[in-house]
Formats: sequence, C-alpha cells, structure tokens
Amino acid sequence: MEFGTTGMLNEDGIHVDMERLKKGEVNLGTSIMAINFKDGVILGADSRTTTGAYIANRVTDKLTQVHDTIWCCRSGSAADTQAVADIVQYQLGMYGIMNGRQPTTQTAAAMFQELCYENKDRLSAGLIIAGWDERHGGQVYSIPLGGSLHKQPYAIGGSGSTYIYGYCDANWKEGMDEEEAVNFVKGALQEAIKWDGSSGGVIRMVVLTKKGANRHLYLPDTNYAVRHE
Amino acid sequence: MAAMFSQNPLMNGPNYSFNQAPVTAAGNKEHAFNPYTDNGGSTLAISGSDFAILAGDTRSTSGYNINTRYSPKVFKIGGTTSTQDDATLVLSVVGFAADGEALKERLDAIVKMYRYQHGKPMSVKACAQRLSTILYGKRFFPYYVHAILGGLDEEGRGAIYSYDPVGSYEREQCRAAGAAASLIMPFLDNQVNFKNQYIPGSGVGHELQEREKIPLPRNEVEDLVKDAFDSAVERHIEVGDGLQMLIITKDGIEEKYLPLKKD
Amino acid sequence: MPGFDFSNHTRNAALHARGVPLPKATSTGTTIVGCIFEGGVVIAADTRATSGPIVADKNCEKLHYIAPQIWCAGAGTAADTEFTTSLISSQLELHSLSTGRKPRVVTCMTMLKQHLFRYQGHIGAYLVVAGVDPTGVGLFTVHAHGSTDKLPYVTMGSGSLAAMSVFETQWKAKMTEEEAVTLASNAIQAGIFNDLGSGSNVDVAIITKDKTTLKRGFVKPNQRSKKQKSYVFKRGTTAVLNEKIITREDISKYVTVHELEGEAAAGEKMDIDA
Repeated sequence: MEFGTTGMLNEDGIHVDMERLKKGEVNLGTSIMAINFKDGVILGADSRTTTGAYIANRVTDKLTQVHDTIWCCRSGSAADTQAVADIVQYQLGMYGIMNGRQPTTQTAAAMFQELCYENKDRLSAGLIIAGWDERHGGQVYSIPLGGSLHKQPYAIGGSGSTYIYGYCDANWKEGMDEEEAVNFVKGALQEAIKWDGSSGGVIRMVVLTKKGANRHLYLPDTNYAVRHE
Repeated sequence: MAAMFSQNPLMNGPNYSFNQAPVTAAGNKEHAFNPYTDNGGSTLAISGSDFAILAGDTRSTSGYNINTRYSPKVFKIGGTTSTQDDATLVLSVVGFAADGEALKERLDAIVKMYRYQHGKPMSVKACAQRLSTILYGKRFFPYYVHAILGGLDEEGRGAIYSYDPVGSYEREQCRAAGAAASLIMPFLDNQVNFKNQYIPGSGVGHELQEREKIPLPRNEVEDLVKDAFDSAVERHIEVGDGLQMLIITKDGIEEKYLPLKKD
Repeated sequence: MPGFDFSNHTRNAALHARGVPLPKATSTGTTIVGCIFEGGVVIAADTRATSGPIVADKNCEKLHYIAPQIWCAGAGTAADTEFTTSLISSQLELHSLSTGRKPRVVTCMTMLKQHLFRYQGHIGAYLVVAGVDPTGVGLFTVHAHGSTDKLPYVTMGSGSLAAMSVFETQWKAKMTEEEAVTLASNAIQAGIFNDLGSGSNVDVAIITKDKTTLKRGFVKPNQRSKKQKSYVFKRGTTAVLNEKIITREDISKYVTVHELEGEAAAGEKMDIDA
C-alpha cells in the first residue's frame, strides 16, 4: 500500500492528512442536516459549491434521491459524493427489482457505508442518509469521513455544522410536528450559513413522510422566511 | 485567504507572489514570504546615428490578470521640472514593477543631485556607470528588473546601455527585454544588424558577402518598433494594450503613444 | 476502452525526481460558456490556445462535436478535451445505434463524469455539455474530477470569473435565441479582454430542436493591424552552404511517386498573416 507524502503522524500514530482534497477539486464546503420528526424525516442543506474561494455553483442541490423515499445529504468532494450516490442509486434500484420489495433506509445506509469504509483512503465524503419506509418509519443515519455508520435522532454535517452544535442541542425536541421541525432545520441552517464562509445561498429541504417526498425552497432575498417553488 | 483564486486548472491558487512560494528538493513548501512578482510586459531600445528610441508596452499583469492597461515602463530621467521637459536621459525597466519604480525614482534623484552639484547635466556614459553601481549595491537582494538606459553620447550619437538585474552592463546597438525578449531580439538582429542577410549572388558558400550595415533612419526604426510589438502581442499573452515610445534627439525627448491589441 | 500506456511512467518519475522538468502540455487557458433560451441552448468559446505565456494557436476550435444535437465546449488540457469528447462521441453513437434512440444529453454527461472520475482528475478536461434531445434542453458542466452541475447558465476555464460577471448582471429567464447568443458572446468577450489565458475570436454553437448551427468566428474583435514595413527578402539573401538535388528518378528507387494534377497538385494553402 502506498502512503501519501502530505499530512502528519498524530500522537496516537494515526496518519492525519488535511490536504486530502486535491488541488482544484470541487468542494461542497457545506452545511447539511437531517432530523426525525413525528411523521417522518426532514433533510436540509445550503446550496454553495466552491473551488478555492470561487463559488462554482450558488444553487447546488446537495439533497440527492437514491430511492423513492430514501435520500442523502452530500458533503466533501462533489465528484466523490456524486459517484457514491450514483452507485448506491443503481444498487437500490436493482435491490427493489430483484427482491420485489422496497429497500429499507438501513439497507441503503449499509450500502453507503460499504463504499465509504472500503474506499476510505480514496474518498472525501461525509454523508447523511435519511429515509422513510413502512417497517421503521423515518430514520436518520450519519456516515462521517472514516466510513463509520451512526443511527441518530438527528445528524448535522459539513464545515458549517461546527457552528450549530449548540443551537441544535439547545433547541432539539423529540417528536416535533412538521412546522416545528421545518423551523428547527431552517433556524439551524441559517446560523450555519451566517457563520460559515463555505456555506451559503438558498436553503433546500426535503420532507419525507408516508405520503412521499416534498421539496421546500427558501431564498436569502426574503431572509429565508417565505417558501418558494 | 484573499479572494484572488484563479479558475485555471493549471495554476490554481492565489494569483500573487505567495503562490510562487519556493519548494525545497524534498517537495516541502517553504512558507516564507516571496517579495517578488513578475508583472510581465516587454521593452525595446534601438540607437540611431543621431537619436535613440526606447519603447515599452503599457500592460501590467499578475498571473492571468491585468492590473492596468496603462502603466508606463519608460521614464525620462534627471529633468529639472516635475514634467521632466528638459531631461536628456531615458530609463526603461521591465520585470517586477515595484522594483522598477523604486529604481527609477532613485536614479532620477541621483541624476538631479548631479546637475545641482556640478552645474551641468549628467552624460549617458556617467549615468550608465552610476546605474550599474546602484544595481550592484543590491547584489544580495536585487532589483528584479531588466533595465535599459538611453541618451545621446558626447558626439551626439544615439547610445543604449542594457543591464542585468545585478548591474552587469554593456553599450549596444539595440536590445529587447522582458517577457517577449526572446521573440523580439532575433527580429532585431535580422532587421537592425542585418544578421543572416547576404547580398544575393555575391559569392558561393563562405565567400558570400554580408549585407552592408547602415544606420537606419528614424522613421524606419519607429516602424520596426511598431511591427515588433504588434507581433509580440500576437504571440505573448503578457504583452499588449498600448505602446509607449520615447525618442531622444538633440532637440529633446519626444513621446509617442500607439494603441496595441487588448486581448 | 483501450486504456493508456503507462510503460514510461517509472522512467519518467525517476527523471523527474532528478530535476528533469515534465513536458508542457498545450492548455486551452480558455473562456467557455453555455446558456439556455426558449427552445434551445447556446454554447460559446474563445479561440486562444496557450503553452505557458506563449500563444500556441490564435484560432483553435474549442467547440467539440458529440452528436448532431449535442455539443461540448472544452477547457483545460487541450489533448484531454479533444480525446475525451471524441471517445464519448464514438461510444454515444454506438449506444444510439444499438438502442435505436437519439442520444441524450444526460447520457453523454454521465459517460463523461464516469470516465473522468475513474482517472481521478489526471485527465484535465473541464467541459460544458449542451444539447437538445427528446426529453428537452440540457446544459451541464463537468469538472476533471468527475463532478457535474446542472444550471441555466454556466462558465468554465480561466476566464470563467469574467464571463460569469456578465451572466450574473445581465441574465434573465426566458430569453430569445438572439438575446442568449448576444449574452453568451458578450460573456466570452469579457474573458477575451480581461483574462490573459483567453483571446482572439468568439465561436458559437446554437442548438435547437430542429437544427444545430456552428458559427465559427461569430465575432472577430482582434484582427491584426497592417504591418508598417514589408519583410520580403530578395531571393538569394539566405546563405546556401551546400546544395544537393534529389531527382524524381532518384527518389523513385525508394518510394512510389505519383503525379498529382489539378487542385490536389497545388496543395493546401498555408494560413499566414497578410
């Protein structure tokens, strides 16, 4: 196995490399999150993609559908996360056809983990998987950089998430109704966008319930107050 | 970090001198401040029998960006007024613009002091020697410029002196400097000194007679300068926008400005 | 996919480690743009190719054919944009023939991104993919690492910031073809004049449901001015140190000689300045 020449050896002997993202690579410098609420799950994300200091896309859609009611939030390298999401979308499609029943969110999360863990030395992808299925209802899974898998009541990720741990901790409630939940996500992402330079643009949300997927869009022009689309 | 990132895949990163941070043999980046920037552009000087022409384009660049389309590289030196109307010397500088500006200011002050102390203007020959001393004075932190000094010598003939960044100098017929020097210089060798030109039918093999060297008239030299720069603009991305010419004659220094392509 | 030949890699890596510089690839330092309008899409490009600070080609083609109704604008390493687009073009035509359907822009975009992702950014192709297919109008950017974006107006290359400033101030939804072409052309000109990596002319390709129009040299704002002097040399000016004439009879001992007649005999005219 080959080792990189950048980075440094940490005190615990683990190779840490902060320059993992290749030069000129498109970065999702991102604020993403997904939460459970009474009737299902909500995914939320900002819309900024950057190459260095340049905003390559100010209306990016970081919420990607991989099955009928299974979605993911992408952070890290745009190329890596798109490739992973495309592969899982294909695998879930095959799974649905071969088994004659819809895959569960857990299955989807396991597929994501497999790819992220086995290729941890080649990928910079931080993912949050959220979905709704008949068996378990709404579920949220987080897959951070190393490829570990965590089932959580809510998950936050991306560079902007560091600014909203306090906000989320203080305002999180179990079993919120839809309006409350949307306001929680929106409030958190507004703070992340405000403080993180790599996050910005519009706020996108996907509400996943028994009834299926429902998209929300909030623009900075109206201070994210009015729902568009 | 500053918001000056290039979208060019080949040179990503900030477009200023920090980008050229030297890399050690091991490939590790040295995080020292690099005080030099290359601002591109080109200069050109040709001397005639009773005149000298110094010319330079007016574009200033850093990386793939244009700082300004009008930043002169040729300056009158040692006049008594702010307009430098009575100056008899011309200095052109190309390379790192800030060093060029500093060098010009310093030489101008020195030549002015000479006039006040001696009651006569400095000769090109004396000024040329003094400029060399100034440049060598910064041998271990050089002015990052290629300088050319022009004027009329004691006999009234055009005189051109060209310098390397640390003060080595030489009197020449003609000289091109800067980004497009390698494009312009061979053209000058051929058209001013008639290099590689022979008289047709004057002999066989090594017997062939070289074309006779005759000093060119002023109008023809001006045409050559214009054509040289037009051609350099076609093939070098850091040259363009405007052409500034200073023509030194016994009657004073005449300035000409011609537009160049702006792409 | 035939794949690349890596047999010189170890030798080159050793040479590079000893300080031999890598060969310089021709880069299309470039401004490229794309813009959707009512009923179609337009892409445009400048025509300068550079090798370092030297202009390698003053009038190169950066608009690549993929399919009759799908075209690509390329930035980055010239060879990579050229070969990648022609490879995908071939695969897409075979795919179209085997399915009996017209090729789609998303198919093209997906094939490009998967090819580029496999090579982890080592293939330096930055592309704007545009076209019209049975599903409608498509416009995408594809980066060398394999990421893609779908937007109503896009710019790429070193002049992308200059070009994007034009779009961000003047773009509006539901433009006519004429409006979109003018806007795209203005965006390219912003790149031509403000980015040193871009220059010369504006090439434009307009794709609608019914037809594709390639306008080479749509705008030519950088024509060379007339030379002041004539640089014609008298015959015999160059020294001839020795002379050897090889006759047709001599050469026909080694190769077969054909006599050309008519237009073919004249050969293609060289493209030189007036």
